[in-house]
Amino acid sequence: MNNGCFIYEDTFVHLLNLIFYLIQNHLKPENIKNTMYTPNLLDHVIVLKIEKNPEIISKIITSMGSFTFRSIYYVFLSDVDNKELIIYYLLLNGVKYKEKVLYHRNLKCVEKTINISRYVLHEVHKYKGFLRFKELENHILYAEIEPENDILFMVSHHFQRRLKNEYWIIKDVKRKIVSIYDKKKYYLVSEENFSLETTKLSQKEIEMGELWKTFYKTIGIKERKNDRCRMNFMPKKYWKYMVEMEDIL
Amino acid sequence: MELKDKLKILADSAKYDASCSSSGSTRKNKSGFGNVAFSGICHSFASDGRCISLLKILMTNCCIFDCKYCLNRKSNDIQRAIFTPEEVCQITMNFYRRNYIEGLFLSSGIIKSPDYTMELLIQTISLLRKKYHFGGYIHAKAIPGASEKLLKDLGLLVDRLSANVELPTENGLKLLAPNKKESNVSKIMHYVNTNQSKKYVPAGQSTQMIIGATKESDLEIMEKSANLYSNYQLKRVFYSAYIPVNQDSLLPTLEHPPLKRENRLYQADWLLRFYNFKVKDLLDEKNPNFNILIDPKADWALRHLNEFPKEISKCSYYDLLKIPGIGVKSAKRILSSRRVFKISFEDLKKMGVVLKRAKYFITCNGKYFMNYAFFQKEFIERNLVLEEKIPLNKIHEQLRFFNE
Repeated sequence: MNNGCFIYEDTFVHLLNLIFYLIQNHLKPENIKNTMYTPNLLDHVIVLKIEKNPEIISKIITSMGSFTFRSIYYVFLSDVDNKELIIYYLLLNGVKYKEKVLYHRNLKCVEKTINISRYVLHEVHKYKGFLRFKELENHILYAEIEPENDILFMVSHHFQRRLKNEYWIIKDVKRKIVSIYDKKKYYLVSEENFSLETTKLSQKEIEMGELWKTFYKTIGIKERKNDRCRMNFMPKKYWKYMVEMEDIL
Repeated sequence: MELKDKLKILADSAKYDASCSSSGSTRKNKSGFGNVAFSGICHSFASDGRCISLLKILMTNCCIFDCKYCLNRKSNDIQRAIFTPEEVCQITMNFYRRNYIEGLFLSSGIIKSPDYTMELLIQTISLLRKKYHFGGYIHAKAIPGASEKLLKDLGLLVDRLSANVELPTENGLKLLAPNKKESNVSKIMHYVNTNQSKKYVPAGQSTQMIIGATKESDLEIMEKSANLYSNYQLKRVFYSAYIPVNQDSLLPTLEHPPLKRENRLYQADWLLRFYNFKVKDLLDEKNPNFNILIDPKADWALRHLNEFPKEISKCSYYDLLKIPGIGVKSAKRILSSRRVFKISFEDLKKMGVVLKRAKYFITCNGKYFMNYAFFQKEFIERNLVLEEKIPLNKIHEQLRFFNE
């Protein structure tokens, strides 16, 4: 059974259960993939029947600490290709080094876990700032984002607290998921099950966009112009959905 | 006048204020509209690479003062405008809803009298907080010379309150800002510092100095900063390279704003606040200005080469901080990791150490990175100067707008 490609049922909890099963039975996976994976000819695909026991989470937190657990979760949200394998190796070392596992920065899986979780959190932070709402005719606020990682719910969590008395919708264009907030909770829905009553912008919208563009253009000091510095902090991939960058793109 | 034209004039007049941070305060969304994130959030970056976090505007650019360096001085023939409190609220609320901004930065020229101006600011911000229930970040400028009562009222409404020192010495002020008194600014700072609490100016105060408009040396500037930090617990001192906006015989004629000097001052400012350096370590009467070619920490290390190379696996946290290329974060990472494994040069790189600078000053497990015979001041200095030309954009986020 060694050297196979193990399949998990797309959820984080199931992945963790599978990994612990592998560790306990001394099985060394060649790869771990979700059900969307199309195996190539050389793959030896193995599907195990493993229960989804959420208690695994508290088990990891007690033995490796909540910081380690959160880092693993951020890796899971990332778009990195072999993230499941990175999580496997981190947990394998975690069993040995317990809450000190992340101090072992000379291990490749630790280095990757730290870097990837930073990359995911960094993207969440950027979208907290760079996301732009547009007001629709019916006063609903609407925004589109195109994140590399699966962070729509983390972004939603932020706006749930910030704009709690507004109706808003955020769409992840890449993953085709929509987050809808009804002043109480937000719901993640797949794009197929969702349609907008109107996509017409409110009357005020153009005026506000223009006002913001005026401010944006005015606030830069021309004697200090520095395109490279701007690009470093606000890479072009974000510009597409930002009102103030429309004229510059 | 149309709102758009007003915004243009009053943002243009406000843009020279360096501070745009929205950090240091935290507020839950109780009122229903907006909260404050402790870390601060940048919402955009302007064409000069500076972060845009707050709607930075003046209430009015009318001013009874005649400070030589200022665009809004009384004697300048420019278009003047004034916002109504309602207008400021409308713009702030609409921008905040669309996630353009993190909050408001409201400053003002002095119209009629300091008290009158301050009352105008209070009226506006209180409208925003009470009528519109705005819970986002607000940074307001305190007007020097206004009464203590008003200072108290304003501080209860905002997250951060600041008053600009503008020039590092009283002589500079006398020369260029004859209407301003240093004592008025220190009165504000003293009041805010003694009363600061969770309810009163929770994010603390900051200030700003213009660099290069008067003849002060870096030593004088840094001593002023050190005093401000220790006397008033300031959160930040901002340095702003002088940009000539006015013609005046008392002002220097500069071709470019002294951005590199500004960069060095920020680096030194960090050394004072987070790296346990003192001003006298970095500068003295003989060398009153920073070396433009080498950053202040590396410059210090070169002058104290007898303390180096330091052994990564043994030296203390404070010694680690003294090594060029090692920052607060990487020093902490080294401390936690060296207990569990032997750190190599390669590992240091993974921990965020800027090896191209650090390597000259350290040994890893007793080994130097090259032949130890090259551990000489001239050799290291030459290499550091060569490497400085590479953009420094990763040293520290806060230095972002000073990279040339």
